[in-house]
Amino acid sequence: MTALRLPAALDSLDELARYVLAFAVRAGLPPEAAYRLRLAVDELATNAVLHGYRGRDGELRITTGMDAQTAWIRLEDDAPPFDPGAARPDPHIGLPLAQRPIGGLGIHLALIALDDYQHTRTDGHNTSLLVIRRDHQADPTE
Amino acid sequence: MPLTVTVSTTGQAATIDLTGELDAASAPAFHDTIEQAAAAGVRELVIRAHRLTYMASAGLRSLVFARQKLGDDVRITVLGAIAPVARTIRQAGFDCSVTLVDA
Repeated sequence: MTALRLPAALDSLDELARYVLAFAVRAGLPPEAAYRLRLAVDELATNAVLHGYRGRDGELRITTGMDAQTAWIRLEDDAPPFDPGAARPDPHIGLPLAQRPIGGLGIHLALIALDDYQHTRTDGHNTSLLVIRRDHQADPTE
Repeated sequence: MPLTVTVSTTGQAATIDLTGELDAASAPAFHDTIEQAAAAGVRELVIRAHRLTYMASAGLRSLVFARQKLGDDVRITVLGAIAPVARTIRQAGFDCSVTLVDA
């Protein structure tokens, strides 16, 4: 079940962030892990809006879940096929800023922020699964 | 939380204060103040980040823009960034081109 639907627009990022951070609290993530999860969701959603939909109308769909070890967010869009994990654009980390191309940083930051990431393309939808480990916390089911 | 950006220029130094969250939606305001500093021909840019609670890659792109617009001879300092913001800057390898200073 989709828990949140937002227009594919930069104006949606703030509501998306509030939703992710509230989920992080429910999952018992410490602030550092919550920040990483929010950053990853923000970057991948931004990428879908700017480079997937490219100004066309569309939506972002978000679902959340958790088990004893992990908390996860599923982010779905209807933009053209794009697998951030496979594309991994070179962020040119070794270049001084004066020579850096502007681009590729968002996906790099998102993927290194997460403990696991999977992308699937099904029925015209891109689906990203963003996973953060929570097993450093006491298991609430015990 | 929206981003509030203020800029002040004293002599050849500009100081940009960032308060709130810097993402793709709010970055243009930061970008504009960098343009102002570059237009003023400053020799030093200090970005006060004590109250910057979040920064996405859009903020990094603004730092790239600042370095490319101001040139290599202008010192760019990010002052007082909270740990996750400083970590993002380091993970992108930007700490070689801008100076990170603790509060």
